Amino acid sequence: MVSVTIDGHEVQVPEGTNVLEAAKKAGITIPHYCYHPGLRVVGQCRVCLVEIEGMPKLATACSTQVRDGMNILTHSERVDEARGAVLEFLLANHPLDCPVCDQAGECYLQDYAFDFGLDTTHMVDEKRRYPERERRMLGPHIVQNQNRCIHCTRCIRFTQEISETHDLTMKARGNHQYIDTFNGEPYENPWSACAADVCPVGALTVKEFRFRARVWRLDDTPSVCPGCSIGCNITIGHRNGIVYRFVPRENAEINGWWMCDYGRFLSEQLNGREIEKPLIRSGDRLAAAPWPDALNELAKIIGDGNGVRVIASANLSNEALYLAKKLFVEKLGAEVLVPSETGPERAIKNGHRDWIRSRDPHPNTDGARLLGLNTGDTSALQDFLITSAGPVVILDATAHPLLASEEIVQAIKNQPVIAIAGKHTPVTRAARIVLPAASWLETEGTYTSSTGRVQRAERGAHPKDEAKPSWEILALMARLFGMEGGPFTRPQQIFEELAAEVPAFAGITYRRLANEPGVPVLEEVAHVG
Amino acid sequence: MEPILLKAEHEKNSRALTTYLNRGGYSALKKALIMNPEDIREEVKKSGLRGRGGAGFPTGVKWGFVPQDSPKPKYLICNADESEPGTFKDRKLIHTDPHMLIEGIIISSYAINAYTAYIYIRGEFYEEAQILEKAIAEAYKKHYLGKNILKTGYDLDVYVHRGAGAYICGEETALMESIEGKRGQPRVKPPFPAVVGLFGCPTVINNVETLACVPHIIERGADWFASIGRPRNTGPKLFCVSGHVNRPGVYELPLGVTYREIIEEHCGGVRDGKKLKGFIPGGSSAPVLPASAIDIKADFDSVAEAGSMFGSGALIVLDETTDMVWLLENLLTFYTHESCGQCTPCREGGHWALEIVRRIRRGYGRPEDLETLERISRFASQGMTLCPLGDAFCGPITGVLKHFRGEFEAAIAKAKPLPKKKLPVLPVRSGRGTFGM
Repeated sequence: MVSVTIDGHEVQVPEGTNVLEAAKKAGITIPHYCYHPGLRVVGQCRVCLVEIEGMPKLATACSTQVRDGMNILTHSERVDEARGAVLEFLLANHPLDCPVCDQAGECYLQDYAFDFGLDTTHMVDEKRRYPERERRMLGPHIVQNQNRCIHCTRCIRFTQEISETHDLTMKARGNHQYIDTFNGEPYENPWSACAADVCPVGALTVKEFRFRARVWRLDDTPSVCPGCSIGCNITIGHRNGIVYRFVPRENAEINGWWMCDYGRFLSEQLNGREIEKPLIRSGDRLAAAPWPDALNELAKIIGDGNGVRVIASANLSNEALYLAKKLFVEKLGAEVLVPSETGPERAIKNGHRDWIRSRDPHPNTDGARLLGLNTGDTSALQDFLITSAGPVVILDATAHPLLASEEIVQAIKNQPVIAIAGKHTPVTRAARIVLPAASWLETEGTYTSSTGRVQRAERGAHPKDEAKPSWEILALMARLFGMEGGPFTRPQQIFEELAAEVPAFAGITYRRLANEPGVPVLEEVAHVG
Repeated sequence: MEPILLKAEHEKNSRALTTYLNRGGYSALKKALIMNPEDIREEVKKSGLRGRGGAGFPTGVKWGFVPQDSPKPKYLICNADESEPGTFKDRKLIHTDPHMLIEGIIISSYAINAYTAYIYIRGEFYEEAQILEKAIAEAYKKHYLGKNILKTGYDLDVYVHRGAGAYICGEETALMESIEGKRGQPRVKPPFPAVVGLFGCPTVINNVETLACVPHIIERGADWFASIGRPRNTGPKLFCVSGHVNRPGVYELPLGVTYREIIEEHCGGVRDGKKLKGFIPGGSSAPVLPASAIDIKADFDSVAEAGSMFGSGALIVLDETTDMVWLLENLLTFYTHESCGQCTPCREGGHWALEIVRRIRRGYGRPEDLETLERISRFASQGMTLCPLGDAFCGPITGVLKHFRGEFEAAIAKAKPLPKKKLPVLPVRSGRGTFGM
């Protein structure tokens, strides 16, 4: 550890830290464009200049490592002047089209120009333009406007160092250089939209999100990606219950600063609920009913639990799965299966530059296993359903693609089926009772990633209509069947009980989940051993 | 002064190995290879040899920065990129005496314990690259290069690497990127090349002329070398004189001669008997000096004192007919074109300054423009950029504005007002209908 003084504040940082990160630790923002904590330092935007006592010239905070006793000024007269000049250089050729730029609100050029820039320019000449590269599709997800580019090369370094696809490059030279793909082909890789995330200005924007919402009007909710078992940390941008986008959230242990395009564009699927109220079958059609009626009907079907088969889901949170186990396995003695499957491979590079790969398309398979629930692949699920004779409870209609097949619906059409779902699938259309499930945004819960870390996804909005999150539906059922414990009113309460009971989760608390980059399971077991 | 580096200038077939051997060539190498590498470094340090590429950094000190205990291989690079406008001394040296350079490379590589050396030569120097390749082949044949040189057990391979035409690749870190096969862009320093250089290994980069001096220092001793020139500015120097003089060319003179001597005695004065207006002392990036500075001494320290840069010793002479606004536009065009585009101040500032000077020359200058130019040059130099290209384009601006500001003011005084840009008037749509103007 070395001790440095930044603007009069003394901070202790590990050796080898750069001045910019040290200042961040002291709570001081040093503006920067080309520097990104996940990418190589190039020191070329020159906006992070600071004055260091004993150095004749201003130094770039990103490329200067701290030394013990260093005295750094981030706001001296010299620094402010130079920083203002660099911002003026950057803005000299910038189109200043903020009102029609989708980056406005989360644009670092805008922010730093406000905070550190001049209020005027000395530039009266014609601005540089790239007529062929304004609003151009760089790839299927990325729109390029080269006029706005500040040539920080973050996107290029992303493709070189993180995605390792080496798609993007700088072409031409000097003032006329521009971003393009090497061979002129569309820019396409499984993480392509991250290039727009790292772009500090509006030069690269995500096609799917462009002009759908002004970012300052969005609410941000920290969550976990539902797309696979890796569990990338995301921030959900939403407003009035409508999800507009997923953006990656920093977690060095899992996803670094990145996420894949597949996960990112799942955000589209979170909107548009089809099942708004509990539905009970009467004859050929499903009719809306109040919750108490639906639960009473459900209690009648399940009875004492004899012969009931429950299909849980690896999409459910640890809390919901815990309640499912308590209620159906321990209380009612029913058979429970968590379907699992092998999907396409997803990969992400974490903050230590290691690849994490997964072929499991569900976010909580490991949680289900650690809770002691049975998991089974496609054929196991098929057997489980075909050999069933009594009522079938499907806790999540999207638990497995097989549940959407007509064949399975035919196999169980004479049995009473209870399904929890947000959208209609063949199985919900054939069900006796359908309960409306809240969306990912509306559900709070913890999930165990394939790397063995428990992470918490927060709730961003109240469920619309009469939908309820799965843990709440299960808590209602638990009450209905007179299960001990409870009443469970918050996921935290369930999690605390779970952590006390299941050894794998021992020692994990909500407070730790909030402060740590995911808490590893089996931590205490490992320590005792 | 007796010619040292250009001894063979008028000799017939001077590039051949046989004639070089007749002149006493490779005798310094024989002497050096039985010396301790450390003693060679010490000798060069003692000679006071300063880098001839432009920065004037003491060569022996530079060699001393190489960590000799490093397990990595060490490299020597000979910088023959010579792209600074006005400089053509390395070309002359290679044309005249390529074996002198090769001998210098072998001795210097031996001194830093390098077993591989590269000659990075600019792409346009096709003929010179051929000359070097031929000379290297000759040297391999006679066991001055390759395995077990002169049976001393020392091995060295020399490769010629041709550049692809970028000025910036003369900058040492960009040059290394270029050899590595990447886009030629300067790297962040530190780490400095002496520690982390070519392929991540300790590397020394020296100019052609610097390396050509080394055999002479070994042969005749550091004290002899230090007796040429002035204290702290020792040795012979090749001056490339171009511009408005009667006899432009490369002249070998000791450091510390006056510019008056170079221009009037050696180059036969300003062309056509015109009056001297000014001169650029060290390649086009050095700030221009007025005619009144003609009596200053041509060496690193004296020129720096006068507010310019000795650089590579490329003297560009300007007579009274020179339009200084045109001069600045010409130079800025070059530097803007050659900016690699990494650093904001150089990429944006250079182009902006060029736009302003162009506008002034077209007769649309504004009084505020000179202040803006000064502001650009202030914030694009002095460590505001990764490499010295920022300083390089600011040098001409500061020099011209300091000594010839009057010409700019005169151009601006005669200027027409800036043509008002006509903004298109768009129809405005409101709830009550469309109204336009």
